[in-house]
Amino acid sequence: MKLQSSSDQETREIGRRLGKRLNAGDVVCLYGDLGAGKTVMVKGIASSLGIDERDITSASFTIIAEYNAAMPFYHIDLYRVTPAELPELGLQEYLGGRGIAVIEWAERAEGEFPDNSIRVDLRYVEDHTREIEIKGLEI
Amino acid sequence: MLILGIDTSCDDTSASVVEDGAKIISNIVSSQDDIHRKYGGVVPELASRRHIELIWPVVHEAMHAAGAKFKDISAIAVTNGPGLIGSLLIGVGFAKAIAYVHKIPLVAVNHLEGHIQAVFLEARPGFPFIALVVSGGHTSIYRVDDIGIYKEIGRTLDDAAGEAYDKVAKLLGFSYPGGPAIDRIAAKGDAEAINFPRAYLKGSHDFSFSGIKTAVLNYVRKNPDNKKEDIAAGFQSAVIEVLVDKVSDTAKKENIGRIVLYGGVSANSALRKLMKKRASDDGIELFLPSTHLCTDNAAMIAAAGFHHYTKGILADYSLNPSAYMPLGSADG
Repeated sequence: MKLQSSSDQETREIGRRLGKRLNAGDVVCLYGDLGAGKTVMVKGIASSLGIDERDITSASFTIIAEYNAAMPFYHIDLYRVTPAELPELGLQEYLGGRGIAVIEWAERAEGEFPDNSIRVDLRYVEDHTREIEIKGLEI
Repeated sequence: MLILGIDTSCDDTSASVVEDGAKIISNIVSSQDDIHRKYGGVVPELASRRHIELIWPVVHEAMHAAGAKFKDISAIAVTNGPGLIGSLLIGVGFAKAIAYVHKIPLVAVNHLEGHIQAVFLEARPGFPFIALVVSGGHTSIYRVDDIGIYKEIGRTLDDAAGEAYDKVAKLLGFSYPGGPAIDRIAAKGDAEAINFPRAYLKGSHDFSFSGIKTAVLNYVRKNPDNKKEDIAAGFQSAVIEVLVDKVSDTAKKENIGRIVLYGGVSANSALRKLMKKRASDDGIELFLPSTHLCTDNAAMIAAAGFHHYTKGILADYSLNPSAYMPLGSADG
């Protein structure tokens, strides 16, 4: 499904709607350039799971941030990760278990995610407008 | 009393021997920028691997330079968060092993508390003071009422200021680390040429630096013939104005006359200049610790660890690192 967002608030709301449909073990892969709204979307998803979205900040620095909500929530950001380092990141430990994993810059780890992963593409349209395409889940 | 400090929270392996929480006897930092420059950012796995290679030589060097033996060390203070988990693990594991073998008490230090403690290695600001910690991983304001008494007043809701610098630098084609490159070319640009938005988040002491990154990206897309110097200058003034305005507003609201700046970004020349001017206009006493104490180092960890140790706050061998570890926040 394709949605249009014209602000951070709308992107966050779409994230919230998406988050409400998630179950333990789900993997959400986010694709989009710098500034496309990936972290904003993660804030929305996390808030629907009862996490204070103020606590969700960019994970580019720490790569993997783990939150304890009703179920574990893993915010993963592969912006700085190179292919050679992937095998040693231990990514698989966070996928498909008891928790929910949301991955920014998922293209840096193509082939690492389960077949039933949910794919979200965030595309720049203009200034604050983004096209958001969700595959693998209806929200 | 000698404390051995160890910090491996990010890209530097560091070890230091500090006497009585204030006097640096040795402070060794293995700057790893030569590795990271090739990869465009802090590369966690590389950092961990380098930490493994460097931890023994760096600790040995710190002990040797201090002329100290392990039997002279009263406690080992190690950073256990926040930071890159793979990097933190090396320091914590190493510190535990040394503590166990040599029967030395172990102390865990929050990296952010270490930053705040750095000023005491050079100066004696009175309490209370306002601390701004601004780096690649952190942008937070604290009220410090005493050693060990911190209250988080505000923090970034998305990107750290230094992260915005790194991402914008990459966008403009500069290599890691981005901050110094932007600072350098911004000096040659016109800060008024492009007016990037300032995210003040009215009524809040929090920061947001994600929007400015997007604004720079939008500008670069629409203006392929852009002048990098002007973009850098416009970006830099948008970031530092918000930092300076927010920290001085906080000082006014809290009715506190002292500000201390910490973190890698506090080495930025434009930030220092604007902050000095504002402090002088507002009658604020400003402390700018030396760059080598503002950036990650183990002396600040040893200094903070000294106070934990003297208060009897020790860690045991079950100590584990944590990537997420807020300091003095309502939920921390």
